[in-house]
Amino acid sequence: MMRFHRPFPAATGTFPRLCAALTLGFSLFAGAPAAAQSKVTLVYSDWHLSEPVWNRSLQEAMADFQKANPDIKVELEPVALGQRDVRYSTALRAKRGPDVFTLDVNPIQQFIQRGWVMDLTPFIQKESGGLEQWKSDFYPRALDVVSSKGKVYGVPKTLVPMMLFYNTKMFADAGLAKPPANWDEFRDAARALTKSRSGSGPVDQWGTTIVLAPAGFDLRFSVFLRGFGADLLKPDYSASALDTPEAKKAFNFIVDLIRKDGVMPPGVAQVDANGARQLLATQRIGMAFESAWAHPIIADINPQLDAWNTLKLAPVPSDQPIRSTLHLKSLFINPNTDHPEQAWKLVKFLTDRAQMQRWFDDNNLLSARKSVNAEYKAIRENDNAALMASELERAAFMPLTPKWPEINEAFRQNLQAAVAGSKSTDQALRDAHAQINQIIAR
Amino acid sequence: MGESRSVLYFVGPAFLLLILVLGFPAMAAVLQSFELLWVPEAGFSLANYQRLVTDPGFHKAFANTAVYVSCVVAFHMSLGLGAALLLNADIPGKWLFRVAAILPWTIPDVIGGIVWRFMFDTLPGFVNGALLRMALVDQPLEWLGHPKLAMFSLIVAEGWRGYPFIMLILLAGLQAIPQHLYEAAAVDGANRWHCFRYITLPSLKKMFMIALVLDVIWECRLFGMVYSMTGGGPGNATEVISIMTYRQYFEYYNNGYAAAIAVALALLMLAVSTPYLRMSMREER
Amino acid sequence: MVTNPRFRILTFIGLGALMVYNLLPFYWMTMSSFKTTLEVISFPVTFMPDAPTLDAYRSIWMQEGFPVYFWNSIVTSGSTAILSSVFGVFAAYGFSRFAFRGKALLMTVMLGSQMLPGILLVGPYFEIMSIIELYNTRSGLVLALTTITLPFSVWMLKGYIDTLPVEIDQAAMIDGASRLQTLLMVILPNILPGLVATMTFAFLLAWGDVLWALCLISEPAVQPMTLGVLRLVGQFRVEWAQIMAATVIASSIPAFFYVILQRYLVQGFAGSAVKD
Repeated sequence: MMRFHRPFPAATGTFPRLCAALTLGFSLFAGAPAAAQSKVTLVYSDWHLSEPVWNRSLQEAMADFQKANPDIKVELEPVALGQRDVRYSTALRAKRGPDVFTLDVNPIQQFIQRGWVMDLTPFIQKESGGLEQWKSDFYPRALDVVSSKGKVYGVPKTLVPMMLFYNTKMFADAGLAKPPANWDEFRDAARALTKSRSGSGPVDQWGTTIVLAPAGFDLRFSVFLRGFGADLLKPDYSASALDTPEAKKAFNFIVDLIRKDGVMPPGVAQVDANGARQLLATQRIGMAFESAWAHPIIADINPQLDAWNTLKLAPVPSDQPIRSTLHLKSLFINPNTDHPEQAWKLVKFLTDRAQMQRWFDDNNLLSARKSVNAEYKAIRENDNAALMASELERAAFMPLTPKWPEINEAFRQNLQAAVAGSKSTDQALRDAHAQINQIIAR
Repeated sequence: MGESRSVLYFVGPAFLLLILVLGFPAMAAVLQSFELLWVPEAGFSLANYQRLVTDPGFHKAFANTAVYVSCVVAFHMSLGLGAALLLNADIPGKWLFRVAAILPWTIPDVIGGIVWRFMFDTLPGFVNGALLRMALVDQPLEWLGHPKLAMFSLIVAEGWRGYPFIMLILLAGLQAIPQHLYEAAAVDGANRWHCFRYITLPSLKKMFMIALVLDVIWECRLFGMVYSMTGGGPGNATEVISIMTYRQYFEYYNNGYAAAIAVALALLMLAVSTPYLRMSMREER
Repeated sequence: MVTNPRFRILTFIGLGALMVYNLLPFYWMTMSSFKTTLEVISFPVTFMPDAPTLDAYRSIWMQEGFPVYFWNSIVTSGSTAILSSVFGVFAAYGFSRFAFRGKALLMTVMLGSQMLPGILLVGPYFEIMSIIELYNTRSGLVLALTTITLPFSVWMLKGYIDTLPVEIDQAAMIDGASRLQTLLMVILPNILPGLVATMTFAFLLAWGDVLWALCLISEPAVQPMTLGVLRLVGQFRVEWAQIMAATVIASSIPAFFYVILQRYLVQGFAGSAVKD
């Protein structure tokens, strides 16, 4: 039997204190802040970091930047394209997040409206030549994307239009001499490409694909819409434009390609931007709407394909004045950053002329700077680049409204429903039209 | 003796912690749903609840949740009971089967969702691969691309992950049934089916009810599996209430509305669990 | 009950089918993790890797920084387990040994709190954590995870303490021990296996969480493993081989512990419910 001596310390005090200390200690350890840095550390976040080809290019650029600025250290934070907007918005709402980050066109106006990007106009004005001089080197339309009410919130980096990428070998094999020039030819080509490679047996090769998953959705469907002369919203973004006969034709065209003609591989409802490129790389499809980045990425996925020579570019098969969509990648600074000056240095570095040339050399991307596209020898002498540069005039951005992400999602869900057959095509289009008008009205 | 005061020292800290991490945030959520907290212009408003009642998106989420929970729980209970009966039998190598039986439940639900997502993937996935190889279908099926198939895939995946727990509970219940009951019944000439129906089932009733309530609760609140496997898609075919709440809060920034949906879900779950709670409270007395 | 051979065979077949269902995803997970990136997306599907390789594991561990996530999971889950067990054992003792007014109500409240869905709390948590600057910290996540583990720990520990007869306490108190000393020196050593089991289950519950991490953690440096794997999916290149390698790693720890401790789990749940 145990004996408890009086002199035992007043345990009601010690043990709880010990527990509290232990728990507190562990928790503090768990939440230990990073050791104080002697240099400034910037966090740079980019969805292209999670793609090997781009990652290498960005790593090299960062190495150069850090060599030129020994007092700044850059930490790289990749993010998945489909998760990017939620991740950034969540962190920014909590007044955290990366110091410098990149966005494509979709959420920019929304981020500006919510105050999630820093106003860069003061920095630009301090540059030599001032605001107007700086602005004059960029395409005006690109600047519209990142500006609001006269203030500039981001710096455009690379600008490319969507094009038709097609596999010359598969085309030749299917008896197609040249890429389609209109939508009927497009459908015929897709049908010709959909077959069984061995000649007998199930179909294991298809004509084309579309992206129906969130990541990269808007760039592809918009090509169809615009190619038929329709658009998603009215030019002043005041209402949905999906009730036009052209919109109906485009919508039906996409759904019929999948459900009636069967020219897209099964599982198309899940295909995202990455999936589309994988299908091209593994030669499961003969053509798709992609842009400049496709060549280096596909070459990396499947070296045996010899992508640079096998895949060629053609304009969107339509003669509408605006027949394609522009993709712009821009850099932004976190309004809550502790190091705005250094962040601006990084942004400037990544968008100056020298780096712009690197983005072409490594990733095949055209610059948002007019001077670079016009003067850089490698771009001028490259056929593909010349073709894309001329297409820039035939392409437009997605609507620049803060409600765009919601509108985009409403349309995507309805298109998916039509493709899956859970709604009739007409019903889906009508629902999309109604939902979009509702969103705008809110 | 000051015993009542010492009780405070023992039970108090846990309750304080509970109030801190559960009570306040829950209250805050309720306030937020009435537009009283963290909104630009605070003022009591039923707008969120009105929206809840009329929003077809919420009706869909509710329907999805009802379908999903009822199918998964039915799956769990039947498979769990079957597995428990099988494992209760006297066979060699029982421990090996036991180990394999519990494995699905050990995986975090997110991980399970990711694995099953890959398995149901249209072209490189296992399920279509196996079906094609066995010539049961001639074209790959779009498991995750078709609304009904997606729900089915989700049920198969979560059924797989969750049933071992039910099995364990029922197995414990089975093993607690005194052997002499069966022996007496055998003497009286009862056959296997009679034994099952008149001895096994009634004895298991209590454990069965507990497992049922627990499972319904867990499946109602499930997030990780659905999020990683379908994300609520295609469209909103598999968007259950927890997914919808998350989206409203973090993707559409409708804080008040998200809070209202969550409060509705919480009330629903409390309603389901009240009989169980009352029963356990009565037992404590 | 008489077990005739035919029944045995049926049982075996039934168990066999069940085993196939259970183990199929594990088999697929593992096989895929040893494939190359091109093979894992190939069509038609290969059921065994043509040229097994450890590339996916290498890539996950070296490039994607998974050791960091692994460590974060261990730290957050461990802290959560300790926090909830410490608070829990005190509360469990109080519930087990004392009779007081409102005890049934309090116990029901504690049990009922498990019924609150996490999704109700993440929004407010997000706001509160941002305000008190615990957003994106492991401490913040630990606090959040105790919502899952605390009621459960109290419940399980009470079950274990109930199995010890009250006479033990009385004997110790006659010898001059205070309640606290009784708890520490008499009760705890006797329920040590149960305590370890409870802590391990709390650890595993916290390990398996993703909702809280998703809403409260934004930087890779502090994210736990479940979130790390989730964020891998949807990367620009969905490298299934890598993702499968990550899932193998992420599921090995819980699988290992649960298998060892399944006996205690059954005891904990069944014991407190089956009252003879």
